[in-house]
Amino acid sequence: MSDREEIASAEGQNGEQEEIPPAPTGFLRRYVFSIDHKVIGRQFLFLGLGFLAIGGLMAMLIRWQLARPGAPVPIVGKLLFGPSGGVISPVAYTALFTMHGTIMIFFAVTPILIGGFGNFCLPLLIGARDMAFPRLNMASFWTMFAATAILTASFFVPLGPPEAGWTAYATLSTTIGAPGPGQTLWVVAIYLNGASSVMGAVNYITTVLRMRAPGMTYLRMPLTVWGFFLTSILNALFVPVLAAAMVLLFFDRVLGTQFFIAGTTPGAGGDPILYQHLFWLFGHPEVYILILPAWGIVGDLLAFFARKPLFGYRVTVGALIAVVVLSTVVYGHHMFTTGMSPLLGESFMLLTMIISVPTSLIVFSWLGTLWRGAIRMATPMLFCLGMVFTFGVGGLTGLYLADITADIYLHDTYFVVGHFHLIMASALLMSLFAAVYFWFPKMFGRMMNEGLGKLHFWLTFVPLNLVFMGQLVIGYEGMQRRLYDPSVYDFLKPLLPLNRGISHAAYLLGAAQLIFVVNFFGSLARGARAAANPWEVGTLEWTVASPPPHHNFDQIPIVVRGPHELSHPAARALGRDWLGQAEVIETVPAPEPTAPTSTEPA
Amino acid sequence: MTAAPTTASRRREIDAQVGLVIFLGATAMLFAALLLAYAIVRSQAPSWPPAGVPPFPRGAAAANTLALVAASWALRRGAPRAALAFGAAFLTAQALLWRHLVAIHLGPSAGALGEVFFALSALHALHVLGGLVALTLTGVRRLRLLTIYWDFVLAVWVVVYVAVCLL
Repeated sequence: MSDREEIASAEGQNGEQEEIPPAPTGFLRRYVFSIDHKVIGRQFLFLGLGFLAIGGLMAMLIRWQLARPGAPVPIVGKLLFGPSGGVISPVAYTALFTMHGTIMIFFAVTPILIGGFGNFCLPLLIGARDMAFPRLNMASFWTMFAATAILTASFFVPLGPPEAGWTAYATLSTTIGAPGPGQTLWVVAIYLNGASSVMGAVNYITTVLRMRAPGMTYLRMPLTVWGFFLTSILNALFVPVLAAAMVLLFFDRVLGTQFFIAGTTPGAGGDPILYQHLFWLFGHPEVYILILPAWGIVGDLLAFFARKPLFGYRVTVGALIAVVVLSTVVYGHHMFTTGMSPLLGESFMLLTMIISVPTSLIVFSWLGTLWRGAIRMATPMLFCLGMVFTFGVGGLTGLYLADITADIYLHDTYFVVGHFHLIMASALLMSLFAAVYFWFPKMFGRMMNEGLGKLHFWLTFVPLNLVFMGQLVIGYEGMQRRLYDPSVYDFLKPLLPLNRGISHAAYLLGAAQLIFVVNFFGSLARGARAAANPWEVGTLEWTVASPPPHHNFDQIPIVVRGPHELSHPAARALGRDWLGQAEVIETVPAPEPTAPTSTEPA
Repeated sequence: MTAAPTTASRRREIDAQVGLVIFLGATAMLFAALLLAYAIVRSQAPSWPPAGVPPFPRGAAAANTLALVAASWALRRGAPRAALAFGAAFLTAQALLWRHLVAIHLGPSAGALGEVFFALSALHALHVLGGLVALTLTGVRRLRLLTIYWDFVLAVWVVVYVAVCLL
């Protein structure tokens, strides 16, 4: 079918256009209690970036303690740890790594990637004027905001913030291990965070199912949309399982039930391992909840900057779906050391290893896309390439942990910490920065500084790998995670120089983020004005002005082709190498260059 | 273009139903996870019901079900005010049941049976309460959605009742 025929048939199905609601005028309605997905996306982005900075500073303190156990923290020590003379106490240390993990996973990456870019991109990329439920979208943000307020409050209650680790294993997290109200506030904050995620998921799934522009078939959706769509399905199904764990933990703490407390009352039947089952039933899909949008974004961006169609788009979509299905049946690999039956353990081991098959397909699609591409080394591309590398290393180290015999030795060591930071901190952080650099022009109407961006990349990429690969090494040497002072063990004493080196790389990594902060706010204030389509790509968000108008599209576009039509022979006649998803070209290739068509922004 | 508003509002209606069904799927997972926890607690208990606990007042819990059924019926008949009354009656009856359970030593801190019932029924009651709030706020405008939601809440209660009180 030619473009024109397709448009004619789409118009037949969808003749009427909904009336455009007017843009709100008051300050509160526009910037605070906005129902515009673009504003809500930016709210999530700023909230998440703020917590990313807090979580990152906590990591610096953790590294200080590991590099110089018991030494007072310079500059901020007296302020933060006054009673102990600026030294991080064991209690403060446990609270630090607990809050670092909680903040990074639930309050930094989730809001930035899913809340921020999910909100901003989804309607624009599928050609919709807004989400399906704009008010629910606003409620989702403010629920997340309430969750952050409650989590922050847990720092200021008697007995201090929670200290049960980000996984909050019972009985560390029940009243036996954590009698103070801090842990209860943590439970409430996580529950509200989950409620916000489920609201977002309901919205995203409905939006993708119901709001796609005519012609935007499932196999014409950018991979970014696929990523957010599949993530939302996992969110809707598995965040409620975490909520169930939180409800039971809350009851244990407040109503005196004993779901997770073993052996206190005869016949009560409480079981700490039950908590782990519920937690990881959610917790493993959560890994994919976070990485799927990253995979989608990187897939799209690699094609855009290699100026080639994505290699194996259909296979990649199939692989993403396979990962989603498999991710629901592998959680037991977090619990190999809990005395699980060997038969069950081996099943989980096998399933976990099978998940590397579709994952490899996705990585091969990236490599195939890069192969012989006309690569443009812009900042977003650098971060995508960095993501491919760190994800490769992180994914491969996962195979060791999937294997029971290796895992029994490596469990709860820094090898695990290094592995999941290579995925969660490195690959996710890289794709998150790629997304910021890529969509910043569309979000704020200004370009970010390329030179600072590249400097930021190299000063992030190199120390980041030093930190997390160093953690793999010290973990392999046997250093357990969550140790307050490893130097009290003779066999860990020789690792102190290595720990110090890791810490120095971590400080460099932390300091390098100042470049990003300067670039972000500097560009916000004084960056060059962005054109509608600065990256010269064909997805729908680049057909509208930067930043997009309140209603996104004056006319809902009619999509005629896929998202990665780069190096298209028909485009050569137009004097460029890409075609827009809704761009109409005559099927007979024109011999001489023709004027750009109607979907080009005025 | 005169037909446009009705088509658009029809589309919004379907959007809302799709969203509600996804939300109910998520809520079903919440209760499924709680029932899984119940199954594990029960399979690890040396005996069930645990030794020495009084018999569960099945009749009272079953009677409360009638209030939920009545609310569902009222919604189908297009009577949101009656549904509101029946829903409130259900919550009151559940509160009385909880008080009775605490009195006969089947409370949340009195062993496995009590804690399972309290966890499931408290969370269920919160969902009923959510339904009542939605009913108060939207009234007749969203009757179709409310009916779906109410049937779901009723189904969850029946599953909880059968799993915890009968089996």
